[in-house]
Amino acid sequence: MPFPLSDTLLILPELFLTTAGLVLLLRATAVGKAGERSIALLSVASLVVTGLLLWVPAALAGGAARPAFGGMIAVDRYSAFFKVLVLVAAAVTILFSLRFLGTSPYPSGEYYGLILFSTVGMLFMAAGTHLASIYVALELMALSQYVLAGYFKQETKSIEAAAKYFILGAFSSGILLYGLSLVYGATGTLDLAAVSQALAQGPRTPLMVVGVVLVACGLFFKIASAPFHVWAPDVYEGAPTPISAFFAVGPKLAAYAILARIFFEGFGPSAGDWSRVVAASAALTMVVGNVGALMQSNVKRMLGYSSIGHAGYALLGLLGYGTEYGLWSILIYLTAYALMNLGAFGLVVLLEAKGYAGESVDDFNGLAKKNPWAAAAMVVFLLSLAGIPPTAGFVGKYFLFSAAMKAGWVWLAILAVLMSVVSLFYYFRIARAMYLVEGEGELKWREEPAVTAAIAVCAAGTLLVGILPQPLVALARTCLLP
Amino acid sequence: MDYPLWLIPALPLAGFLLNGAASLFFGWRRAAAATARWRAEHPDEEHGHGEAPGAQAHASHAPGAAHGDDHAHGGGHGHQGPALPWLERLFYGVVGVGSVGLAAVLSFGVVVPFVKESLASAHGLPPAVEVVYQWFSSAGYTVDVAFRLDALSALMLAFVTFVGTLIHLYSVGYMQNEEGYGRFFAYLNLFMFSMLILVMADNLPMLFIGWEGVGLCSYLLIGYYYDKDFAAAAGKKAFVTNRVGDFGMLLGIFGVYALFGTGSFSFLDAAKAGAVSGAGPLSVYAVCALLFLGACGKSAQVPLYVWLPDAMAGPTPVSALIHAATMVTAGVYLVARTSALFVLAPDALTLVAWVGAGTAFFAATIGLAQNDIKKVLAYSTVSQLGYMFLACGVGAFAAGMFHVFTHAFFKACLFLGSGSVIHALHHEQDMRRMGGLWRRTPVTAWTMAFATIAIAGLPPFAGFFSKDLILGSAFGAGHPLLFGVGLVTAGLTAFYMTRLARMTFAGEFRGPEDVKSRIHESPLTITVPLVVLAALSAVAGLVGVPAVLGGTNVFGRFLAPSLAHVPEHHVSHATEYLLMGLSVAAAVAGIVLAWRWYGQAGATEETPSAPARAFSERTGLLGRLVANKWNVDEGIEALVLGPFRAIGRFLWRGFDALFIDGIANASAFLVELAGDLIRFFTTGNVRNYALTFTLGLLALAVYVWIR
Amino acid sequence: MTAAALAFWVLAVLAVAGAIGVVTMRQPVHSALCLLASFMAVAGLFVWGRAEFLAAVQILVYAGGVMVLFLFTIMLVNVRRQAREAALNRLTGSAVLVGVLLFALVGGLLVAEARRMGGPEGAPAASAARLSTTVVEAAGKAPVEVKGNSQAVAWSLYRDYLLPFEIASVFLLVAMIGAVVLGKRTMEKFD
Repeated sequence: MPFPLSDTLLILPELFLTTAGLVLLLRATAVGKAGERSIALLSVASLVVTGLLLWVPAALAGGAARPAFGGMIAVDRYSAFFKVLVLVAAAVTILFSLRFLGTSPYPSGEYYGLILFSTVGMLFMAAGTHLASIYVALELMALSQYVLAGYFKQETKSIEAAAKYFILGAFSSGILLYGLSLVYGATGTLDLAAVSQALAQGPRTPLMVVGVVLVACGLFFKIASAPFHVWAPDVYEGAPTPISAFFAVGPKLAAYAILARIFFEGFGPSAGDWSRVVAASAALTMVVGNVGALMQSNVKRMLGYSSIGHAGYALLGLLGYGTEYGLWSILIYLTAYALMNLGAFGLVVLLEAKGYAGESVDDFNGLAKKNPWAAAAMVVFLLSLAGIPPTAGFVGKYFLFSAAMKAGWVWLAILAVLMSVVSLFYYFRIARAMYLVEGEGELKWREEPAVTAAIAVCAAGTLLVGILPQPLVALARTCLLP
Repeated sequence: MDYPLWLIPALPLAGFLLNGAASLFFGWRRAAAATARWRAEHPDEEHGHGEAPGAQAHASHAPGAAHGDDHAHGGGHGHQGPALPWLERLFYGVVGVGSVGLAAVLSFGVVVPFVKESLASAHGLPPAVEVVYQWFSSAGYTVDVAFRLDALSALMLAFVTFVGTLIHLYSVGYMQNEEGYGRFFAYLNLFMFSMLILVMADNLPMLFIGWEGVGLCSYLLIGYYYDKDFAAAAGKKAFVTNRVGDFGMLLGIFGVYALFGTGSFSFLDAAKAGAVSGAGPLSVYAVCALLFLGACGKSAQVPLYVWLPDAMAGPTPVSALIHAATMVTAGVYLVARTSALFVLAPDALTLVAWVGAGTAFFAATIGLAQNDIKKVLAYSTVSQLGYMFLACGVGAFAAGMFHVFTHAFFKACLFLGSGSVIHALHHEQDMRRMGGLWRRTPVTAWTMAFATIAIAGLPPFAGFFSKDLILGSAFGAGHPLLFGVGLVTAGLTAFYMTRLARMTFAGEFRGPEDVKSRIHESPLTITVPLVVLAALSAVAGLVGVPAVLGGTNVFGRFLAPSLAHVPEHHVSHATEYLLMGLSVAAAVAGIVLAWRWYGQAGATEETPSAPARAFSERTGLLGRLVANKWNVDEGIEALVLGPFRAIGRFLWRGFDALFIDGIANASAFLVELAGDLIRFFTTGNVRNYALTFTLGLLALAVYVWIR
Repeated sequence: MTAAALAFWVLAVLAVAGAIGVVTMRQPVHSALCLLASFMAVAGLFVWGRAEFLAAVQILVYAGGVMVLFLFTIMLVNVRRQAREAALNRLTGSAVLVGVLLFALVGGLLVAEARRMGGPEGAPAASAARLSTTVVEAAGKAPVEVKGNSQAVAWSLYRDYLLPFEIASVFLLVAMIGAVVLGKRTMEKFD
């Protein structure tokens, strides 16, 4: 064997999570709808255990990056960073879902099982160092999500979202796969390190350039950056809200993990090519996301567009390739992004008592009076999303914009600042609704301690990272690619 | 110092947390009690409406529709008594005032020794920087949470906490009938915290925290009476204009970082040494212009001033604290703080000077046309802020800060006095329905008189010294035109302020009878701050007596180490006397004219100025004009002031409508256009999406290939 | 043109023509049959490239399993004709244009690359040789030479690509769950 069987221990967390998903699927058939709560809590527990198990491969690798399964994946701190974020996102999503399925006629076991399997895919994405393993993991994640998007299949919006997501996802997969095949054709390998080597030695061939562009475009679809973003608002709006939260965070984290890894570790030598793709897409994405959000009255759509804008900011970090900023600014920003977006979606979940209530900005009217804590938490998330200190969003943006400036993309940094200012307008529409508009009628409110707790954790994290970012910064700096 | 500096901002923060938590808790209790009551009254409907606590609690004290003009405290509740139990009110008051008061005591404990030692040494003390912890650090670039104590921040610290404490105390009495008493104090404490961060920050990113924090509090407090549409609209206006400022501010911060490689104020030392690591003077100019754009937004300069007059929709203590004394001077503070950078770009300073002078003049003319007492003061504030920028622009940063200092006292006094008047008249803000109040509210009248004299610039009141210093600096720096604008503005200022005082306090009461019988002097918590501020309006200027009058400019000497060194322009003593005489003459002329025209017998609600009415009746009758000595006044009123008023009215309404609405419409159009584009690509049709993908892919591939 | 080249071109044209047929035929059954033709042609290409095992798998799995399933579905659901939708809509023009442009871009690049690498003849033979004879190096043992097509695929799949293979198994599970969740008609009866 090209690798010892003991490599299996290096994927112990993933193995555990897959097993847990299978067991919970079976268990759900036994307990039925009545046992939904226990299934959900068990899912969260298994995610927590998975997180703890991450220690095993880390200890085996002993701090250094260790390739496993013949270079298919690597156990390193970079992947560990993303794995923890992904696990948190999945756990929070499940907590959000607790009473969401509630009285609906949809089965719960498959729901949580799919979230877990999707998470497995993301974990492998974070670790993948070989284009084959990365691609298969990506598809595992994506397929679970197509199903989750259409989970409420009696809702036309939900099933429409699933169909769109699936068709366009398959389309983008085709683009990605074609790009990968071109890269293989140009370099004769799918191993990232070997690709990088081949690129460094060989000339700049048209084949490789088109391959890189196609791979970039395929991945841009996953992070919903323009012009491959068009699906995102529709899907976020149509999917069940906890799932929208999951979509806005989980897949993006994982996609950024592979995007950075492929570009930095694999396509590093052709940075001159892909940085132009990234810059063009980043500029377009920031404008489209933020201007698009200005016109939305549906909060889920607004957050969808806003997350498009954020994908654009994060792309700036990729441009920092080769400077001292670059990668870790992305890590910090994505941490902030995960916390604040999950929190904001969480409040929509709370407000969504029935049907699609809580989705209109007007549903936030007078929230400050009726539930001051929730309003205060939402303000924290909005401030952070807008990038106002002392919140996590500010710290993240600060590093990203610095990265862009350091790399010489000054006009992009200026555009990013301008778009941040624009973003304040739509974020503050929600703040205004909560604080400065009188609410009408009773507030529909989902009383669910688990959701409240998850939101509280997100809010605390957002503030903590904003006020005391240094530990995170220090951590992120140790979690870079070699 | 025996205690750390961070304790000073930490106290208001603690106050905010305590008051916020308490008001949340008590609010929740009240809602629960209301629900219980409602349930007890409607036992049958329990089943159907079991989940309506918030709604019912709210409906039981929903504010009515009929409110006063700008001021609605207690209005619509049907009773004038306090809305909250006294114990709860006491808690909010004690925590709110106590935290800020204690912060004031602590800051004086720091500032007083600092001032003493600084003045005792030849070149002042070096700035004391206290690093609390490392906020974040990255490759070679560290941002600390660090507080700075130097002359500039000591000055701001002292008067912000002092005026802040007085206004908190004032609010105890002023806001006591408010249902949102706790919320109000929580916001006010949060504001104090942010303001202290702003003035004590040792680096631009941290200053930006305070910058955004005060903006947020301002926004929340402008919209405090949010059941009224215009309050919300005013908040929106403040929001939009401040975002324009933010854009400049953020880019300015990045620009400083690009120029000096640090955001810490140590870059000022580098700037003083002329060590700009970045590109040439153009980029210094750009950075200064960007920072100044931020300052314009916060300090309400042309063309971003429009939000400040509307911000008067907030409660009066807020107007006094945030929109007169402290927050709006943050822009001046920023320019003074980064003065070392500004002097590297003389063109930027010229820009600052002219924007300041223009604002000072235009806002003053607008002030002539206002009848709302708070609006007059608001435009006056804009105008005075313009003065401060004018000073900075001619390189007299110390003079600008001096005016910030004196202005804080007399303008806070004027606002609080106007609040007292509004209080006495039960929410009447229109000066045409006032008059003769001095008999009923003597303390208010006297204190406001002091402040009016101070702002008009009569010696030896505070405003005289600072205004004179500014005008003298403008002249001395070789800008006679700027001096002229400043001089005219001084006359206008004296005029509209006297007009305000005359219409409010002198003459006969012009309002309805039922109000007249209930006019009363305000309680002690209101009058005590007034008296203190009035006293300071009178004497605060004495710390900066110019040498020509036999004093020493202690203020300037103290501040010098924190500011850029600008070569002083010496003018002869004779010139200086002449300039002084001119400014006093302008002030006296304004006062006399206004005193004679307003509040005389024959004034009515519609036309408080009898001469204006008389003139319009006699238009065309030249002979009588000559015969009657009053007609000179009338002529001036109609021919000179008339156009000014027209300008004022144009600026007030026309400019607002043309410029701001124009921008709003243009941006709305752009957004619409972008929206159409986005809609074109986001039709919801999967085929379109796939087509968009492919198009994008092609475009990117071509873009990369043709590099 | 050698016989081998002729075979390649015939098979390639068949495969592409079949694929075009799938999307243009109005009758679902016709589309399915075109797909079958395309599959067969691809299997032929595998044989041509000396990947006999893959050719067999292609026929077994795709032409056998997948095709049969498709035909069953078509017959069970009894779709006679596509919904009465115009085959050409207003996007067709731009879609064709974009498609042609993309084809020109990618195709042109590929042709240029092939020229640069020395014509299309050299490449497949090389890869076929790589597939049919693989040198396997195991830790601590002498290199083993693997002969034969199926063995080479097996070595590659279960050894080098073991991990992606296993991930793919979870993927298939998810696909199954998804099919059940979305396809099951009576949702109320889940308990």
